[in-house]
Amino acid sequence: MAVSTTQAALEFVGLLEAQYWIAFIAILVLSALKAVTVAGWYMHMREEPRAITYLALAGLLGVVALTAGAGYSVL
Amino acid sequence: MTEDVHTNGGTDSHETGSQDDGGHLPPKSSVKRWLVTTNHKDVGILYMITSLFFLVFGGILAFMIRMQLWQSGPFILTDLGYNQIVTAHGLLMVFWFLSPFAFGLANYLVPLQIGADDLAFPRLNAVSYWLYLFSGVLLGISFFQGSSLPTGWTLYAPLNLPAFIPPVAELGSMSGILALALFIASVTIGSVNFITTMYRMRAEGLRMRDIPLFSISILLTVWMMLFAFAALLAALMLLSFDHVFAGEVGTGYFGSEEGGSLLWTHLFWFFGHPEVYIVFFPALGVMAEVVQTFSGRRLVGRKWFIIAMALVAIQSFIVWMHHMFLTAINLPIKTVIMVTTIGISLPFDLMVFALIYTMIKGQVRWKTPFLFVLGAIVLFIIGGITGVFLGAIVLDYSFRGTYWVVAHFHYTMASGAVALVGGIYYWYPKITGKMYNEFLGKVHFVAAFVGFNLLYFPMFVVWDTPRRWFHYSGTVAPEIPFTNITLFETGFTIWHQMATVGAFLFGFSFLIMFYNLFVSLYSDRVVDESPWAYTGSAEWAVSSPPPEGNFPGTPSFATGKLSFLDRAETDGGTETAATDGGVAHAAQSHEQHADHTSWWPLGMSLTALILGLGISGLEASYFVWPFLFAIPAFVAFIGIFGARSDGYTHLHGAFVGAAVPLLALFALVFHLHHGIPGGLAEANQYFWISLIGITSGLGTLVAMGYESFHVPTPTMSEQWPFEGVSNTKLGMWVFIGSDIILFGAFIGSYIFMRIRANWTQWWDIAHNNGLTHHPVWPGLLNTYLLLASSFTVVLALAYAKRGSRRGTVTALSVTFVGATLFLLNKGIEWVDLYIHQGWQFDSGPAASTFYLTTGLHAAHVVVGMLIMLFLVARAYTGAYWSDGEDAQTIEYFGLYWHFVDIVWLFLFPLFYIL
Repeated sequence: MAVSTTQAALEFVGLLEAQYWIAFIAILVLSALKAVTVAGWYMHMREEPRAITYLALAGLLGVVALTAGAGYSVL
Repeated sequence: MTEDVHTNGGTDSHETGSQDDGGHLPPKSSVKRWLVTTNHKDVGILYMITSLFFLVFGGILAFMIRMQLWQSGPFILTDLGYNQIVTAHGLLMVFWFLSPFAFGLANYLVPLQIGADDLAFPRLNAVSYWLYLFSGVLLGISFFQGSSLPTGWTLYAPLNLPAFIPPVAELGSMSGILALALFIASVTIGSVNFITTMYRMRAEGLRMRDIPLFSISILLTVWMMLFAFAALLAALMLLSFDHVFAGEVGTGYFGSEEGGSLLWTHLFWFFGHPEVYIVFFPALGVMAEVVQTFSGRRLVGRKWFIIAMALVAIQSFIVWMHHMFLTAINLPIKTVIMVTTIGISLPFDLMVFALIYTMIKGQVRWKTPFLFVLGAIVLFIIGGITGVFLGAIVLDYSFRGTYWVVAHFHYTMASGAVALVGGIYYWYPKITGKMYNEFLGKVHFVAAFVGFNLLYFPMFVVWDTPRRWFHYSGTVAPEIPFTNITLFETGFTIWHQMATVGAFLFGFSFLIMFYNLFVSLYSDRVVDESPWAYTGSAEWAVSSPPPEGNFPGTPSFATGKLSFLDRAETDGGTETAATDGGVAHAAQSHEQHADHTSWWPLGMSLTALILGLGISGLEASYFVWPFLFAIPAFVAFIGIFGARSDGYTHLHGAFVGAAVPLLALFALVFHLHHGIPGGLAEANQYFWISLIGITSGLGTLVAMGYESFHVPTPTMSEQWPFEGVSNTKLGMWVFIGSDIILFGAFIGSYIFMRIRANWTQWWDIAHNNGLTHHPVWPGLLNTYLLLASSFTVVLALAYAKRGSRRGTVTALSVTFVGATLFLLNKGIEWVDLYIHQGWQFDSGPAASTFYLTTGLHAAHVVVGMLIMLFLVARAYTGAYWSDGEDAQTIEYFGLYWHFVDIVWLFLFPLFYIL
């Protein structure tokens, strides 16, 4: 929750206006941190066989391929 | 030893014994058997027969296409009629025939080949089948709603939008789209089932690499299906909203100026290119098995063959833009994709050479299955080489949209069908216990092979016929590509007429097959375990057809060879879990503990058909109401079914009682919007059909949840690389893998449109489109709520493990309250944005992407809440925390809920901060 508040605070203090892409990266890294925490602890990914992590990463890789490919194609 | 597990959300309530026939199958002569069966071999046969029906359906449409093209001008079909038939032909052949036929074989054979008694989730397997059947029925119904989809099987935007579809085709188009969505539900459930089975239920000693090649091809296919179809589902969901809300407050995805039509092609082909291999891989598996058997030797380079297949499966997700060389994508990405596309042909070369070299090294026996497979290899080589042309950007500029493409993909995909026909002949003796007529089989092959080439090869000659045109020019003579040299003076017509003759020959050759297979069923050509001289996989080690339990003992490959161990020593050495208060003796076969029948897969799938039909004509202003009115019914169903299953408690009474004020609340809101009874009187029939569909659908889901259904899980099985993960947990993770793609495609669409529009100007554009104020705090508050609710699910699991009913029920209830607050907060936010600020679905891409992406997430929250209600009722009556049922059920639900939480962690910054 503190991390989420920090994300909102980054906008509130005007970092997005001043340094958009730095704030962009910071905010998404914080989201990734939260996601890894939820997956690792709440979803017990740390305790499961590594193959479970690879399964989720395979899905994520598919999303990245689609988004990056499609996004780049119109740059 | 076996462990009794509860699958598919089923519960372990021995007292009720809800199977009307004790969970055992009626005889095969009984119609009831085929309606209630969950046995993998029965489901496999149902898949095969149904897919052959769709083959005939799609084939008749193909005849109509070829008849229309007999001459250059108008002929038997209207323009719209031709468009419908071309579309339905493509959809039926690709979706409803090719893959399902392969999955009929897979259903029948994979458990046999890997030494499993059944699939991991037999009831879900039946759900897959019935959803598949009814999705096809819905596509068929679309023809009776004025007109079916007239868009071509690729449903290219903007032609897939209401503005570009004739009004007469709007209802049928929506049904077509929903039929595809139902089909994807079937495919996703099937993929989860096969992946879980193949990783967790292999016989002892059977390593992944040693699985027979057909099963390996299926494993790779289901992985591709899992990810690829989720992207198509996302595209179809977005398209549905573009349709449903068209004309009123239409969402603006595929009609958007921010690359809407390009977005469709990205989403479609991200699915569509893997789909080519999804269709072809099972055929490749058949080729490998048949070539081995009829060459009398193991496949040359088997390991490399498998590696090549795996490479293709992975590469298939990075070549999709070669279908888009003629769109506005930039040249650098085209170049990259050209390289990956040419690159994907290399592993295929290896596979083809491995097959050919195996034949050369072996002693070929020219039986019917081999002839079909050899024919398929020849056809596939032609299809593959002509496809490489299309992978080259410059050549594609000329060939795209012509009959070159039509000929190429038929040589590729229909060659897969030819190989699958080889598979029919190959495994027919195993499935029926009878041998087909070899002479008729060979006659079929000759007719099919000649017909196939007569049908498709002329299309290469008149390659510059425009694809999908209902009238072609008869006066233009075909030329050698890129030259002005005229080949023939006869024009296009004669070649199309040859193709039409070929189509009829090819089509009628299947009548020989149907006759042969039918008559052979009643012949005296009885076969024993294997009619073939050289076979290597486990299905040939058991009788034909295989016994109900598949194997005479527990299959094991521990010694390097297949052997059958005494079940009493391997499975039933000790009693299983609670059995009617008694003890299951060692001598009791595990079969006696397994359930094989359920009416609910059929019932649930039928309600899905009704719902799909209802939504096809549901008006935008009535869209949410059937779903809202069904929620009180769902709550009441839990009370009623729960009382019947677990014994009446006050909570069940409270559930039934709560349904009344809930219904009154929704009725009041409906009255404020539409008025009662006026609003109900004005609702069209599709509103009522939807209401019946969703209400009965939720009822069947609750009934399925309360049904006692036992599936023994062999503990003596190879489970690498998922040791220690139960089947249900792995199934949930695999489903989440698919859901990652679904959400990813929604988020990817948002990112694509935002990049296209100008990333940093996005919110300025939104402000120009009516948005006045989009505060961060509702999103932040919802993040708090979801994170907190994830924590309470963890608490519920902890309490369940400690055996605390109060703790379990309270923690689940608090989670439910958290989710309710989340939705309430979202509702307030949406009312402000939508009504007060007037920032509506059609207020530009920022609005459409915001409402639909966060809306999809909210729908997941609602589904989670409905499951929570069920869990609370179950926990209250003793499940999860006492000895009755495992606390793991809460963990499985938690996986889903935490995943929904994780998705929000990304939606929050993307839609509220950045």
